[in-house]
Order: sequence, then C-alpha cells, then structure tokens
Amino acid sequence: MNRKPRLSFKAYFGQIVSGVQTMFEGMSISLASTFLKVQTVEYPDVDISSRESLRQSTYKGNMAGMPENYRGILKVDLDICTACLICMKACPIDCIAITNVKCDKRKFNGKSGKAAVQTRAATRFDIDIGKCMFCGLCVIPCPTGAIAHSKIFEMNRGSLAELVERFVTPEQAAKHEARALEIETEEAEKKAAKAKTDAEAKAKVEPKGEA
Amino acid sequence: MIIELLTSVGIPELAAKFIFAGAVGFLAINFIAVYAGVVSVIERKVAAKMQSRVGPNRVGPGGWLQWLADGIKLMLKEDIHPHGADHFLFNMAPFLIVCGVAGAFAVLPWGPAHAIAADLNVGILYFISITSLVVVGILMAGWSSNNKWALIGGMRAAAQIVSYEIPVAMGLLPAIMIVGSLQVSALTESQGFMPWDWTAFDNPFALLGFLVFLTGSVAESNRAPFDLPEAESELVAGFFTEYSGFRFACFTLGEFAATWAIGAITTAVYLGGGQLPPSMAGMIPLSIGLFVLKTMSVVFLLMWFRWTLPRFRIDQMMDFSWKYLLPLSLVAFFGQAIYILISWDSPAMQTIVSHLLALAVLGVIFLFAGRVAYNIKIQLIPINTLSTEIGPLERAGKIAPPPAVVEEVETAEEGA
Repeated sequence: MNRKPRLSFKAYFGQIVSGVQTMFEGMSISLASTFLKVQTVEYPDVDISSRESLRQSTYKGNMAGMPENYRGILKVDLDICTACLICMKACPIDCIAITNVKCDKRKFNGKSGKAAVQTRAATRFDIDIGKCMFCGLCVIPCPTGAIAHSKIFEMNRGSLAELVERFVTPEQAAKHEARALEIETEEAEKKAAKAKTDAEAKAKVEPKGEA
Repeated sequence: MIIELLTSVGIPELAAKFIFAGAVGFLAINFIAVYAGVVSVIERKVAAKMQSRVGPNRVGPGGWLQWLADGIKLMLKEDIHPHGADHFLFNMAPFLIVCGVAGAFAVLPWGPAHAIAADLNVGILYFISITSLVVVGILMAGWSSNNKWALIGGMRAAAQIVSYEIPVAMGLLPAIMIVGSLQVSALTESQGFMPWDWTAFDNPFALLGFLVFLTGSVAESNRAPFDLPEAESELVAGFFTEYSGFRFACFTLGEFAATWAIGAITTAVYLGGGQLPPSMAGMIPLSIGLFVLKTMSVVFLLMWFRWTLPRFRIDQMMDFSWKYLLPLSLVAFFGQAIYILISWDSPAMQTIVSHLLALAVLGVIFLFAGRVAYNIKIQLIPINTLSTEIGPLERAGKIAPPPAVVEEVETAEEGA
C-alpha cells in the first residue's frame, strides 16, 4: 500500500492556520471588489468611441473608452490631404484607390507639424474596408497625417458595394475637375502669353541683332 | 389555533389537521419557489459585483425580473428522457430532492421563537434526517441518467454528503448541550437580542461548533467550494447533466431553497433567531424582519464563499471532512462538555466569557474591514499605467481627462 506520510502535529495545525489566513485574505479581496465600479462597458447602449462621448452619456461605468492607438477603420481628412499617392503605393493589398488633378497651390502644416505643399487634389479617394487588414502601413508614410485609423469598429454594411468608403463626394470631384480645367486653361493661356511675349522679345531682339 | 377554529365550525379534527398541513405546505412551496427565483438573481448580482461585472440587467427594472423569465423558459422546455434511462427513477429524483429540502421547512422558525409550522421536540434530528433525503435523490438522478458524468457526480455527492453529515450534526451538539433540548423553539428562546446572548458566542467551543456547522452545511448543500457533484469544468453538469425543463428547475429550486434552510437553522440555533430585546417583546413584524435579515446575511456569506474560494479536489474534500472538520467538531463537543462542568454554577464566568468572545469577534471584524479597505486601495491602482488607461482620480471625477489630440492645421493661403 502506498501510504501518505503521517502529518506531524505542527504541520497539521499549520495547515489549519494557513487555511484560515488565506481564506481571510481571499474573502477580503472579493468583498473589496464589490465596492469598486464595474469594468464592463455596456457597448450597444453607450457610445464608446471616445472618452469624451462616454463622459457626456449618462453611463456611469468604466470610462476608459477605446484606447488612443486603436486601429479602427481608416479615415481621411481631405482638408490636409495632398493626394500624393504615397498611401496607395504603401498599401500591400491595394485597397486604396486615388486619382488626382492639379489644384491651387497652398502651403500648410500637417498633423505632425511638418510643412506641406499641396499641388494636386484628389478626385477619387476610395478605401475598400472589405479588403483592408488594418496593418497601418498607409498611416506611417503619410506626410501630413491625413489618413489615420479612427476608433470606429462597426463595419457592418448592407452590400459589398457599400464596403467601399468613398471620401471624395461627386460634387467635390466635379469642383476639383472644373478647377483643374480652369487652371489648365489659365496655364495654357499663360504659356501662350509667355510664348507670345517671348516671341515678341525675340522678334524685338532679332531685328536689333540684324541691325 | 387554526385547527381549533376549524373544529369549532364542525370539521372533524383529523380533516382539520390535514387542511392545516395542506395550507402550510402550499405556503412553504410557494415561498420556496419565489425565494429560489429571487435569490438566484441576487446570487448572480453578487457574483457580478465580486467580479466587477454588471450581471443580469435586461429583464425588468435592473434585471430583477430575470427569475420570472428563467422560470417560464424552464417550464416551456421539452422534458427529454435520455435513451436507456431508468424512467421511473429519472422522474422521481428531482421531486425527492425538492421534498427533502421542502420537508426541512417544517421545523424552520419564521421570526418569533414559536412561529414554526411543526415545533417538534426532536426538531434538529428531523432537520438533519430529512435533508439526507437529498442524497438519495442525487444518487438516483446520477444512476438513472445512463450517463457516466452524471453517475460520477451522483457518487461524489453521495460520498460528500454522507461524510459531511457527521460534522454538521456534531457542530450542532454544543448548542444542544447548552440548551438541553432538540426543539428548535427552545434553542431560539434560550438566546437573547445582544450578540453575547447568542449561542454562537456563548463560549469558544460553541463558536467552533458554529463554524464547523456552517462549513459542513456549505458542503451538504453542494455549493462551491464543495460543488464537486456538479463540477462544471470536470463533469458536464454533474448529476443533472441529462435533465431539462421543469425537472432541471427542480434541482435549482432545491439548491437555492437549501440556502434558506441553512441560513434559517443557523440563525435559529446559533445567531439569536428573531429574539428582540425585552423592551420590544411581542413585536412580531420586527422579529420577522430581524430573522430574515440574519438569514439573508448567512445566505450572503454562502454566496461570498462560492465566489471567492476555488473548488476542492476530491481527495482534499474527503480529507477536509474526516481529518479536519470531524476532529474539530469532537473538540467542540468535548470542550463544551468540560466548559459546562466548569461553569455550571458560576454565571459570572459565563457572562465574562461570552462578552469577551463577542468583543474578540468584533475585533476580528474590524481587522477584516481594515484589510478590505487596504484591498480597495490596491485595486484602485490601474494595472496598466499607460496614458490610454484611466487613473483612479479621473475615475472618481476629481480631474479632467487628458486633452484630445488637436489638429494643428494652419492653412496659409498663398497665391498660386
């Protein structure tokens, strides 16, 4: 028979004492947590996209909200987008599609504080969130911080076509294209005028040279 | 009193007794059903609070009608008999369990010492023996299900309940020796309102007996940390694996009704029952309120055990009964006998000992409260102190959240 070694009296009472002590500690921990706030975020009931929206709601539970570095679906801030196509080239699965046209030149500071110069505007900026794998490789090289992960994680859509997020509205695209046409015509006019003046200057110079 | 009223109208005495018994039984069963439902919601709420969760909060105001939804669901479910099951035993088992628990309600007081359905002169013996009916039901359920998990659960339950019967009965002995009676009303009446008049704090051996009785009762009602018969992670659901519908509800009903039975008998025998101070004697609603308060405190203690302590291993469980609880209950028994011999004719000694013991228990409670406060302080410190985590001061609303990232877009328009 394989028998357990007999307990000494010291070990026997030691076990009783340690049992009582550990139970005392454990019971105090579980009672302490009854006095603390619940950590559950009751998601569909409260808007948890940011800390501020949590504070504004009547919700009284965990106020942490989504973490700052959460990678939700991509959002593009077209006000600071220079349509440089870097994100499109960085995307490993080609879920970003951009076309651009010329626009008025403007200088501004991007989100990181870097100076940026915009010479082209996007007429189409589509992100297929059905393909996107939220790797963040497009966010890293963006020179102005225009493309960034939002904290939105609700990606249900009614159809496949709706999975494509279109950031440039048709009106904006039409406006940009019209402006691009204007700029082109202006430039063409300028070119023509310049050519004309050049030709005139040449014409002026030539006779002198001849003379 | 009701029997006398009925016989004075002209009903024969035997019929009057049956009518009375039927009425009391009807009330008790309804009380059990409603109590089991409400306490199941309370238990889920307490568990949620202890785990920093929300708990049931959808049905009714704050989720307090969840038990009605659960009950309706269980009644409407199909009653499935597994292939190869012993139908007669399978059908009998849940009702034996409910009978065993409901039978115990006959000797439970409801506040004032004499408000007992049947104040038997062997009330405690009746209580101990009728609750043993539960083990028969559990074993029947385990055997008749034709399922190995159910059988293992049933066998475990049999081993456990038979083992813990002894410490439970021995744990009640000090109180019985102090009072000299097995009648529940006499056990309650011998106590007073103040804690030092309670049997539990009469002397150290009575306190030991009380603790042994409480621990053994937890094991007898198959609640965690002694929930080996229904160990969810090992056996699917233990002895009621194959049950569904109303028969399953009966098991749950029995389990929750057992918590009230334990709480009530502990309160009546050890914690002063519904005894009021002499100046307020005879105020029945107050007495009932006090009794319910004490009983629910014991029930809360059982829930607290359940959601704090991890489950025992099967050999540890048997060790705990035979190697620790049984010797301790014997110590309580013999110590109580010797204490009675010593303090037989010195009321002064009895008074001093009981007051000192009540004081010591108060000290332990204060120590415990201090430890709880310390643990609250510890748990308020966030584990992850990154800026994405929320700090304790911010959680309490003392400081504003850190400012959001502001876009630094300065569009300096320049002519093209």
